[in-house]
Amino acid sequence: MATRVQALDVADVAARPHRYFRRMYVWQWPIRVFHWINAICVTVLFSTGLYIASPILAPAGEPYTHFVMARVRQIHFIFAFLFVVNFLWRIYWFWMGNNYARSGFPFVWRRQWWRDLFRQVGDYLRLKRGHVHLGHNALGGLSYTIFVIALGWAQIFTGLSLYSETVPSGFWGRLVGWVIPLLGGSFQTRMWHHLFAWGFVFFAILHVYIVFYDGQQYKNGLVTAIVSGEKFYQEGDIDHDTWLS
Amino acid sequence: MSTQRVVVDPITRIEGHLRIEAMLDERGVIKDAMSTGTMWRGIEIILKGRDPRDAWAFTERICGVCTTVHALASVRCVENALGITVPENAEIIRNIMFLTQYVQDHVIHFYHLHALDWVDVVSALKADPAATAALAQAVSPSWPTASPGYFRDVATTLTKFVQSGQLGIFQNAYWGHPAYKLPPEANLMAVAHYLEALKWQKEIIKIHTIFGGKNPHPNYVVGGMPCSIDLNGDNCINIERLNYVKGLIEDATRIIEGLYLPDLFAVASFYTEWAGIGAGIGNYMAYGDVPQNGIGDVSKLRFPRGIVLGRNLSEVHPLDLSDASQITEEISHSWYSYPGGQQALHPFDGVTEPHYTGPKPPYEHLDENGQYSWLKAPRWKGNAMEVGPLARLLVGYAAGNTEIREVVNEALGRLKVPATALFSTLGRTAARGLESRLAVHWLMAEYEHLVANLKAGITGTADTSRWDPATWPAEAKGFGFTEAPRGSLGHWVHIQNGKIANYQAIVPSTWNASPKDAKGQHGAYEAALLGTPMADASKPVEILRTIHSFDPCLACASHVLGPDGRVLAEVTVR
Amino acid sequence: MSKADVKPTTYDVLRELGVDRRSFLKFCTMAAAALGLDASAVGKVVEALEKKPRIPVIWLHGLECTCCSESFIRSSHPIAQDVVLNMISLDYDDTLQAAAGFQVEEIRKRIMKEYPGQYILAVEGNAPTKDGGVYCTVGGQTFLEILRETAEQAKAVVAWGSCASNGCVQAAHPNPTGAKPVHKLIDGKPVINVPGCPPIGEVMTGLLTYILTFDRLPDLDRIGRPKMFYAQRLHDKCFRRAFFDAGQFVENWDDEGARKGWCLYKMGCRGPSTYNSCATFKWNNGVSWPIGSGHGCIGCSEANFWDNGPFYERLSTVPLPGVDSTPDQIGKVAAIGAGAGVAAHFASFLVRRTMSKDKPDESHVSADRD
Repeated sequence: MATRVQALDVADVAARPHRYFRRMYVWQWPIRVFHWINAICVTVLFSTGLYIASPILAPAGEPYTHFVMARVRQIHFIFAFLFVVNFLWRIYWFWMGNNYARSGFPFVWRRQWWRDLFRQVGDYLRLKRGHVHLGHNALGGLSYTIFVIALGWAQIFTGLSLYSETVPSGFWGRLVGWVIPLLGGSFQTRMWHHLFAWGFVFFAILHVYIVFYDGQQYKNGLVTAIVSGEKFYQEGDIDHDTWLS
Repeated sequence: MSTQRVVVDPITRIEGHLRIEAMLDERGVIKDAMSTGTMWRGIEIILKGRDPRDAWAFTERICGVCTTVHALASVRCVENALGITVPENAEIIRNIMFLTQYVQDHVIHFYHLHALDWVDVVSALKADPAATAALAQAVSPSWPTASPGYFRDVATTLTKFVQSGQLGIFQNAYWGHPAYKLPPEANLMAVAHYLEALKWQKEIIKIHTIFGGKNPHPNYVVGGMPCSIDLNGDNCINIERLNYVKGLIEDATRIIEGLYLPDLFAVASFYTEWAGIGAGIGNYMAYGDVPQNGIGDVSKLRFPRGIVLGRNLSEVHPLDLSDASQITEEISHSWYSYPGGQQALHPFDGVTEPHYTGPKPPYEHLDENGQYSWLKAPRWKGNAMEVGPLARLLVGYAAGNTEIREVVNEALGRLKVPATALFSTLGRTAARGLESRLAVHWLMAEYEHLVANLKAGITGTADTSRWDPATWPAEAKGFGFTEAPRGSLGHWVHIQNGKIANYQAIVPSTWNASPKDAKGQHGAYEAALLGTPMADASKPVEILRTIHSFDPCLACASHVLGPDGRVLAEVTVR
Repeated sequence: MSKADVKPTTYDVLRELGVDRRSFLKFCTMAAAALGLDASAVGKVVEALEKKPRIPVIWLHGLECTCCSESFIRSSHPIAQDVVLNMISLDYDDTLQAAAGFQVEEIRKRIMKEYPGQYILAVEGNAPTKDGGVYCTVGGQTFLEILRETAEQAKAVVAWGSCASNGCVQAAHPNPTGAKPVHKLIDGKPVINVPGCPPIGEVMTGLLTYILTFDRLPDLDRIGRPKMFYAQRLHDKCFRRAFFDAGQFVENWDDEGARKGWCLYKMGCRGPSTYNSCATFKWNNGVSWPIGSGHGCIGCSEANFWDNGPFYERLSTVPLPGVDSTPDQIGKVAAIGAGAGVAAHFASFLVRRTMSKDKPDESHVSADRD
């Protein structure tokens, strides 16, 4: 199949550089793989978790012909372990990856980071294009820290401690069993695990919207970036991730 | 004039924490007495804001000795507020559990809490086993274990136990006190039966386990009972469970008729002077219980409702629990304060603000003229009342209930005492036994009623039409009552938007152990102690006899009310 | 010579009672079996009961309802009588004591003096700490003070029931008397928590018999409970578990599922959160247990179980001040809020975009860049 490629107008590029997009490889493959596995895990875990809390199917007949609740729990546990491994992989890549793998870290001790945070909130609210970031902006980084990392840890600890309840003296019980008395007992631990789960839903709604909005507003290819790893910028765009280094 | 002050704290062999201070005149006769509940937990304050369907479990924990009665009063209370009528089977199962509690509780009280006031354990060492066997066979010909060998074994147990030097719960007591009148053989027989009853009480209570899952503290639900009945299933009440219950009722009948009552009469015959001591107030109250046509029909209660005033058995006064002018609680001698300095409130409007004004512990004495108890003083139309087995029998007797009249008259005949002998310490102790007799009889009748229903195909145990809080009115008020082993128990609830806005309970021991009211009227314990002669002020057997005849339950009495939920707890320590 | 040296042993007492050695050995075998021990341990039981004088026990009652004592006397193996007369020396217990008043307090003081470091302190109920402890006094002394004083010389402390081991009903919100469990009130003593409201009778006698028989404390878990009775959840041993796994649940009292014995999970059963022996040796000599009789477990042996209500819901409300909602209610509100915010933002974005349609191509380049 023939494709017509228009020759690049070198003169125009020189004259009006900001009309032309440049490509930058930002999200390395481990980050992208993490993102998608995480997205699948959270979706499965949330829906199976809701079902476990209030099982609505009511199969009739003898119990040995069914295994509904047990199956749902089994799926929940399998994806939970996948979630944990994936999560730890992301933590590892925080150190091993490129600079952008660390760009979400909340550098709360840097004035630059705080300035960027408030500027970003203002830009979003006022629908302005504002500053451009090749990595995460401070607001995005902060939300990932809270809703992906902190919430992830919370779910891992509460979830594994609940998982350990069958054998409190076993491996998981010794590792994370202390969480249960800390939170006021098994029943309360369940309650927190369930409440935290809604944090992912809250986050997901905002996250998906902002990605589309941001991609549209900044023309930075944010949506495709999580597949290809590449973001776009224009000549003259300033990378404001200066607080990173 | 010299007065002596006797302090008994703790009163042992009761439930909870009770202190008695008695003032003796120069002849050693009690001329004034003070009953103090020394514990407060605030359970009604804790109930505020909770789901009313949970209230039974909280209130059940008011007392573990008379377990189930608070749960029963509570579910009835919430059902009354929400307009729920429980299925007949649930009512019957509740009656069975209720009567089971009577039998177990009264037996425990007689043998393990009260007997040591009348039975000298050390004197039993001198008993001749053969003579004891003869006595036992004369007292209760039907009772199987009454051989000389059996009593020799018990005597040996006791001897070794005493010789071990480790007397455990029996040490430092009042053995050899002149107030103990039983011959050694009767003492030995009583000790043997103390042990038998201890073994048996854990059996009868299995009826609770069958229907309620455990004892102490079996389960109830608002709207019925949680135990389903399926005669063709093996996961709920079926014929095996029913047979189990029936067998336990039959055993209970044997124990009451063959052990408890004969022992009661045998011991009582040595202590007939106590039929003239410990009368107390002379006002008796019973809410009534064991419904035969739903709890809403108070005319069909096996224990009738009513009030006897001034020992007048020819008249029964009516009683209305929802009438705000009838029952009030006063606090003039209690460690509480009411808003605006009020002195008496009906349970629907009641308030609990703990306000300790007693001495800073450790203390020697409390002040009978000041506030001295964690118990309030409940009054019926301003009168102090006595509640409990004696009150129930007297109200039933006065009301002309044939079953009650029959057992009472028979007992009076056996002890050769007139009906006035009932107004006493001994009367109270005897009433408990007579009531147990009624209870085992009624247990079987209730059981047969249940079986008849099942035969007719009626198997439902719960009405769930008002289970979902969405079906409730935004505002509801209700009351529930029962005749706990220790007397009339009432719960009052105010439900707002599906939550408890107010919860209040007036329990039997609050009536009986109440401090004085503003008019200076004593509560039942205090009044019953007045005029009691004491042989030795340092060994207060006499006080224990009368106080134990009420079967005090202080965890009940002093849990006290917290309807508005405010806890100010200003503590003024002198 | 101290008193303890001349005390007859349990075997002596039984022997004198006319119990022959064969019956005694049989008793020991049964005791061992009741403790879940294998045949090789019987010898130890025999030895223990043959050679040791009875250990003094002081049993205190604080803020409580006496259900633990009642449960104790419901024990069927061993029966309470055997424990009290033949195994321990129950020297102080206000519920069963023959003496009253100062005579009882005298006993407590004497035992503390004569058997320092040798007696077991059993506590039923707990101590109010608010307002100097005036909400529970015995003999004019606060229970708090009595507890601390008696614990000082105890060999070990047994916290009977949920009151003593985790606070129970009087410590439920708002805890008007400041009631605190035993382990929060005394230091430096081994405290064995035996939670339950009440604990099963055989758990209570089993614990005492274990200590007497093996002359040591049993293995405890992270929160001080004997592993032999609290190692597993009811849920994992429940006879209704097959229905749980199948997804067959009771939906309402006395419905079809209830009559078939289906799982009580949706009726709020706390079995999945509760460690106790109810599912194994059940109540009142194995007759039944709450789940066996159709009501869900209310989790009475778990800390703070009163504040996990309502008992008939699977999730409690979120225990934060001023919050009276379940996680699902909060979660849904948060999700709807996020959705509404997104919608509003998107709407204004569209409006802004339509209004600036006619602007030049570079419109997306913001002014401050140039």
